[in-house]
Amino acid sequence: MKLYYFSEMPHHEFPDAEGEQYPSLRLEFPNRFFDPERARANYQRYLDEYELADQVGFDGLMLNEHHSTPSCVNVGVNMSAAVLGRITKRAKILLLGNILPIEDNPVRLAEQIAMADLISGGRVLSGFVRGVGVETWWSNTNPVHNRERFEECHDLIVKCWTSPGPFRWEGRHYHFRHVNPWCLPLQKPHPPVWIPGTASPETAIWAGRRGYTYVPFLVPFDVARELFEFYRQGAAEAGRPVTPGNLGFLICAVTADTRARALEAGRHFVWRMGPTLRGPVEFFSPVGMRSRAGQRFAMRARPRSLASMSYEELVQEHFIIAGTPDEVADRFARVQRELGIGHLLLEAQESRMDHPTTMRSIELLGAKVIPAVAAL
Amino acid sequence: MRARETTVRVGGIDVHAWVGGRGEPVLVLHGAGGNRGWTRWVQQVAEHFTVWAPTHPGFGQSGDAEWMEGIDDLARFYLWFIDAAGLGRPHLIGHSIGGWTAAEMAAMSPRSIERLVLVAPVGLKPEDGEILDVFYYPPPRLLGMTVHDPRAIPEWDELFGRPPTPAQAEIAERNREMTARLTWKPYMHNPRLAHFLPRVTNPALIVWGREDRIVPAACGEQYRRLLPGARLAVLDGCGHLPPVEHPDAFARLVIDFLGGAPRP
Repeated sequence: MKLYYFSEMPHHEFPDAEGEQYPSLRLEFPNRFFDPERARANYQRYLDEYELADQVGFDGLMLNEHHSTPSCVNVGVNMSAAVLGRITKRAKILLLGNILPIEDNPVRLAEQIAMADLISGGRVLSGFVRGVGVETWWSNTNPVHNRERFEECHDLIVKCWTSPGPFRWEGRHYHFRHVNPWCLPLQKPHPPVWIPGTASPETAIWAGRRGYTYVPFLVPFDVARELFEFYRQGAAEAGRPVTPGNLGFLICAVTADTRARALEAGRHFVWRMGPTLRGPVEFFSPVGMRSRAGQRFAMRARPRSLASMSYEELVQEHFIIAGTPDEVADRFARVQRELGIGHLLLEAQESRMDHPTTMRSIELLGAKVIPAVAAL
Repeated sequence: MRARETTVRVGGIDVHAWVGGRGEPVLVLHGAGGNRGWTRWVQQVAEHFTVWAPTHPGFGQSGDAEWMEGIDDLARFYLWFIDAAGLGRPHLIGHSIGGWTAAEMAAMSPRSIERLVLVAPVGLKPEDGEILDVFYYPPPRLLGMTVHDPRAIPEWDELFGRPPTPAQAEIAERNREMTARLTWKPYMHNPRLAHFLPRVTNPALIVWGREDRIVPAACGEQYRRLLPGARLAVLDGCGHLPPVEHPDAFARLVIDFLGGAPRP
């Protein structure tokens, strides 16, 4: 099983009491609390951590993108991918990902991902996501078009990568009279495509039909298994085999020299389960963004919100894994057995987890855990 | 005056409609909340006119129209509807997004309609203030912002007093989705509408609630300035739903403006 390192690049440098005065940390928490000096230092620090993760043997470095939120100030996944492409040497660079429905120019996106692939020497794994509702507000994209735009944007990007230009694109949401990008990916036919999922059966089926790698985020095991079944259904329709390499899973994880220290560090993940997801349902799921089927599945799939769970429960349910390297390796092996996955994505830094703690965790994961799970 | 429900097939879409009354035809276009049916003010107007109250495509019991992208599409559709239902040249009443639709119809084809009643219409960018982002708030909270004083609303209990059934909740969600489809960006307005309206010389009545917290009441003045044949009536103690909040006063305004006398 392959391990991937991931940080949301949080900006948690404000008093929590300030944030609590607003309906949500997303969209509403005023950016006067953004501290450019701290952010400058944070970017350096987060990039150092990614660099170390590459050096100690992580199979991949995952990046994501959000907007208008202190929970993630990686506001340009392709920008950070280009930087990692230059400062790291061997790990895959997993973009998970570009938020397709909010993009107005898929051709530019195809070029940027290609450029990151070229700079990194062909290491890009190109994840495509539908985004949470917050990004729909941020970009003022009509939520009822979310899935249509996701699919059309995807189709145009793949065509940019695989069909010789120039060509014309006249779709429903995208219109380009002259497509001929002079920047194409190194990997052929194109960088592997990854798709995350939390609740949409349609997305799992869609990814399965195309043989893309599918990765549920922070859901209970039984929900992940159900989503994988939808994925297999799509794959079967297209006559595609499903191997562990098609399936991934994302959890939060940290290790340390002692169990007590790891458990203390793991508490930083609670911020991303509750406070950063607090807000009206309209912020995260604006009207029309989810299909009725997706809504029904989501209602069933999340009988309890992550925010309502205590730290101990989050650990018990494998949303957070924190312990000594041996304990962490055991738990990762359990996740692998439960789900049959080939890729485990570790959100391995969060909130105010400090640089030394993060670096030590990365070192230990590299030295003791990666070798222990590599053969699974 | 009793009403009947009917279905009119227009442009491949089955449109549900309430019809009733007697006299000249009046076409009533509902707001984002959906078709509230044969309510008190409609009953009063139907004493003098034949009221057609269709449910917009994508709303309530009408068919889907996922191809529509804006209120101008809905306006074209209702010009077809006038022909399909054989309404001749009806008076036109529109509330909120229905008012915007009515204004677009008048701009597209002023001779297709007689008199125009715009009730708290969106459609123009406010010169002052902003149109409330109705998609940003949970529906119960939004309802509280939509009306001025629930206690003063005679039909409150029957319209809003009971928790929705699952079927009603499904329809409310569908109504919101279609509203988003039609009005998301530019939000609730057409930047070109102000250039169209001066060509509309039909007699027009604009009705606004002085305490409207959804669309600034000052927009009523903007509409009045842009429409050469318009006058503006502002109701005190009234929010964004004049036909529901003050049904009797609203019906009186409409009947007087449309000049309706009972027909034999």
